[in-house]
Amino acid sequence: MGSNTLDKAKSPALAALLSSAVLLPAYQSAQADAPPESSEIGFRYGKYQEDAVAGGDTLSGEKSGRYDIDVAQFNLIVPVGDSWSVGLTGQWESMSGASPWFSVYGADGQQKVIMSGASIEDHRAEYGVEARYFHEEGNIGFNYVNSKEDDYHSDSIGADASLNSADGLRTYSLALSTSVDKITPTRGVAPTNTLKADKDIHSIWMGVSQIINDRSIFNLGLGYTQRQGYLTDPYKYRDNRPDNREELVLSGGYRHFFDDQNGALQADYRYFIDSWDVESHTLELAWVQNLNNDIQVTPFIRGYNQSQANFYSDVVVDTGGYYSDDHRLSSYSTVSYGLRLKKNFGPWRVSATAERYESAEGGWRYSQVPNKALVDFWGYSLGFTYNF
Amino acid sequence: MKNSLFVLSIIALTGCQTVEPWERGILAKEEMQWQASTMEARFRQQMFNSKEASSGTSGAAGGGCGCN
Repeated sequence: MGSNTLDKAKSPALAALLSSAVLLPAYQSAQADAPPESSEIGFRYGKYQEDAVAGGDTLSGEKSGRYDIDVAQFNLIVPVGDSWSVGLTGQWESMSGASPWFSVYGADGQQKVIMSGASIEDHRAEYGVEARYFHEEGNIGFNYVNSKEDDYHSDSIGADASLNSADGLRTYSLALSTSVDKITPTRGVAPTNTLKADKDIHSIWMGVSQIINDRSIFNLGLGYTQRQGYLTDPYKYRDNRPDNREELVLSGGYRHFFDDQNGALQADYRYFIDSWDVESHTLELAWVQNLNNDIQVTPFIRGYNQSQANFYSDVVVDTGGYYSDDHRLSSYSTVSYGLRLKKNFGPWRVSATAERYESAEGGWRYSQVPNKALVDFWGYSLGFTYNF
Repeated sequence: MKNSLFVLSIIALTGCQTVEPWERGILAKEEMQWQASTMEARFRQQMFNSKEASSGTSGAAGGGCGCN
């Protein structure tokens, strides 16, 4: 925390009692206007597990297993001198299973899914490094991330800056990123839509975080992303997408602490719209309950719905122009819900989360016939951090 | 929707109180942060980004992956 902020405290004695954490500005989180006071190392293991596609929804009439992913994560942040911090991240994934290949109409006139077969075996390794400089009014950070899979390679760089208002009640943030991605699909002897292609992603985001009172805070964000190049799914049998996509995101967040309950309400909303005519709303609510012995229990629920892309159809019958039967471009709604547990043991913090994600039929707003390939899944993760 | 957000923002901004630095102890608590944890947030965002047509919330998009 900058010394100028301490100077604003009413008395030197009071200022001396205040920890730097108490003086966090409006943007909070890991981004303060001073480097972290100690180093932190963290590991996390996650499991992603999709439900099988029901036999009635496949052309063969047999139930078909889907995708599993094991994820290991690593995170290290170290203060360097009085004004810098350096962060390292790593993520390793092992993926296996089957995914929807294309759809046809069955004898009953309903959409039926043809799966790729249990042919997908892939690994992904991602490494990131970040340097951040802190000054009295905020901070500025630079990062580089490399992601490599058997069939996908991405290099991205980014920069972001945060600036406090003079009274520290408001924080303005700006972030930029650009990435160069290379796609080299591999699937044995089965054909893919391309053998080698490129994709670029350019993104800008700006936000403001505002302290409302000593118990509540909110933020607003606006983001724009442009994706250019090969945006078709190389593994879908009937898929041909435009080579340009522009996305706009408007988001808002709110936190309020309730003294009587010793807990906090967390609310986050996102509005998304893009040049493919996909429009979506996402709302997530969580209640963080503090218990004795440094334990936190957090139930949460997330609702999401989207409209379909303008070239989507449940079953592709005309392969002129752009087309796709990818269920992720269809109109649908989902609900996910879960529970998060945290416990502190001195410098150690352990947390575990379980979440269930279900694709709803129909929707709150878009009443289309749901794609049979829509997915339900479980996500679990368990992690710890250690401060030293 | 956009108009509603704008109006809410104006109401929130005009309803803001002065909170001195020594009064921000509650705001610094873990449950008042925007993210539960960096690693968990990345894990969840990757799940959602690979299964939905929408992506992005806070910060720039960064790089892609072949996540299916």
